Amino acid sequence: MRKPIIAIAGLTACSGCQLTLLNCEAELPELAERFDLAYFPLGITEGAVTGPFDAAFVEGAVSTPDDLEILIKLRSRSRHLVAFGTCALWGGVAAMNNHESRNALLETVYGEGGSEMKSFNPQPFRHFIKVDFAITGCPPEKPEILAALAALLRGTFPVFPRYPVCTECRSRENRCLLIEDNEICLGPLIQAGCNARCPAVGIICEGCRGPVDEANVAAELELFLEKGFTREEIGRRMRRFCPEWDYEQRS
Amino acid sequence: MAKDFLPIGSIPDFLDALATFGEVHGPLLTDDGVQVFGRIASPADLRLDYRRTLLPPKKYLLPPRETVLTYAPDSGYRPPPLPDRDIILLALHPCDLAGIAYLDMAFTSTEPDPWYRARRRRLTLIGLSCEPDEFCFCAEVGAATPGNFDLFLERTPAGFHIRTGSRRGEKILARLARLLGESEPALSSPQRCNIESAILVAVRRGETFPYSPLWDEFASRCLSCGACSLCCPTCYCFDVREYGLLDGESAERIREWDNCLFMAHGETAGGFNFRKNRRERFLYRYRHKYLGFGPTRGTLSCVGCGRCREVCPVRIDLLELFKEER
Ligand code: SF4
Ligand code: SF4
Ligand code: SF4
Repeated sequence: MRKPIIAIAGLTACSGCQLTLLNCEAELPELAERFDLAYFPLGITEGAVTGPFDAAFVEGAVSTPDDLEILIKLRSRSRHLVAFGTCALWGGVAAMNNHESRNALLETVYGEGGSEMKSFNPQPFRHFIKVDFAITGCPPEKPEILAALAALLRGTFPVFPRYPVCTECRSRENRCLLIEDNEICLGPLIQAGCNARCPAVGIICEGCRGPVDEANVAAELELFLEKGFTREEIGRRMRRFCPEWDYEQRS
Repeated sequence: MAKDFLPIGSIPDFLDALATFGEVHGPLLTDDGVQVFGRIASPADLRLDYRRTLLPPKKYLLPPRETVLTYAPDSGYRPPPLPDRDIILLALHPCDLAGIAYLDMAFTSTEPDPWYRARRRRLTLIGLSCEPDEFCFCAEVGAATPGNFDLFLERTPAGFHIRTGSRRGEKILARLARLLGESEPALSSPQRCNIESAILVAVRRGETFPYSPLWDEFASRCLSCGACSLCCPTCYCFDVREYGLLDGESAERIREWDNCLFMAHGETAGGFNFRKNRRERFLYRYRHKYLGFGPTRGTLSCVGCGRCREVCPVRIDLLELFKEER
């Protein structure tokens, strides 16, 4: 079997997704043996984007001309481009204030003259390029990363279930924070895969894995309003990992 | 006078005696206040006054997720070893016993499912009489009379009348003899369903409520969170997926609980979907629960436990259909 040639890269983000991959300590020797890691700036110092790659795992949102350049370069040299993590797939935390003035944000962070910086609203990959596969999560779950890599050895990608966090949460018989405690849990709207990590320890789902397919956003919004949350608070919560909800969407 | 009475104070001894037949499980309260079936490590864990558990006892027979095959290049596909734990499941209400009877039919009558059968053979069922609350309605679906048990405990203020329902039950009862006292025969015979309930009438007619506005209403509110069927004692749909391992050769095939309100439930290769929207999925859920299809045609599978009504975050309740009918 020919070793798949892969690239692992990051755009505007915290590198948490790439670190999660590096934290798969038990599997690293096997990964090193099975894959040809041709480009991985975070883990291997030297190296330019060469390619062609069988797959590029790219983390982060696109928020600078440089980001876009790297992304397009990787796209054009990779057979499969994988949106690696919530930022790449949905925009992520960097995009939570996209509705506010860009210049004001830049000046808040970088002070006067910040608005001179060459940056634009952080955006998910699909606004610019075709994405072949996604591993969501902030950061992604190790088993999903490993399943994707294992499938790649067979020239394919795995099928992950497309149900919300609630499904895993109920299967674990957690206390429902939404029903029992009237908390603003986003579980019904969010893609499962974390095994309800947060509700399992009594913390509401903040939505770090982004929207599940066919999320009934409008019904969840009505439910939150009924429970007395303000539109502002709901919006603030929901934007935290994904700025682009369609609040009218029912399916 | 029958020697079939277990005084309430003998519960600890009763649990000890049961433990000689297997691991004792029953209703308990988790740290965050959820009623579940779980391992009873000490008599203080046992909550005989529970209303209903979050997940039904089906988790003992069909776990939420399990490996059904492993693949290795030299041995091919192999099933994992069959489960071999003896479990005594205590204090099942009549609805949950009926739920297991339905699962028994689905998993063991024609082509027995090897994992289900292995677990079922090692599962002892001990029933307990109960009081209905605002969510449940077993009498209306004809599941109030206890059946499918090894032992059944009929509660009285001072203790429990014990009935046997199987050879295994008799064997266990014999072991319990020293704990039992004499008493009048069981006082309250379990409540029986003589009413012609709206549900039974509609079901017998094969009613599908095609013009009900409720379908659209349900569809617009449903969050597809899966709770209604995860928590249903008779929902048994599962999904099967296979994941390759990192050696590039071996693999693992799992099965996992599914829900007919999920978009992927009716999806086939190529992205075609038999039930494209939630409205169609609700019709399907209704049909399966109340009318049955294929080999289960004509079998009402709802046992009236009330779980789906209690766990739905947006309070969707299929029973509203029958109320409209009245
Ligand atoms: S706690 Fe949150 S994730 Fe869990 S079932 Fe309730 S709403 Fe869903
Ligand atoms: S429960 Fe929600 S916030 Fe927590 S890890 Fe899962 S998706 Fe992220
Ligand atoms: S359909 Fe609802 S009430 Fe009927 S058995 Fe299932 S969970 Fe219980």
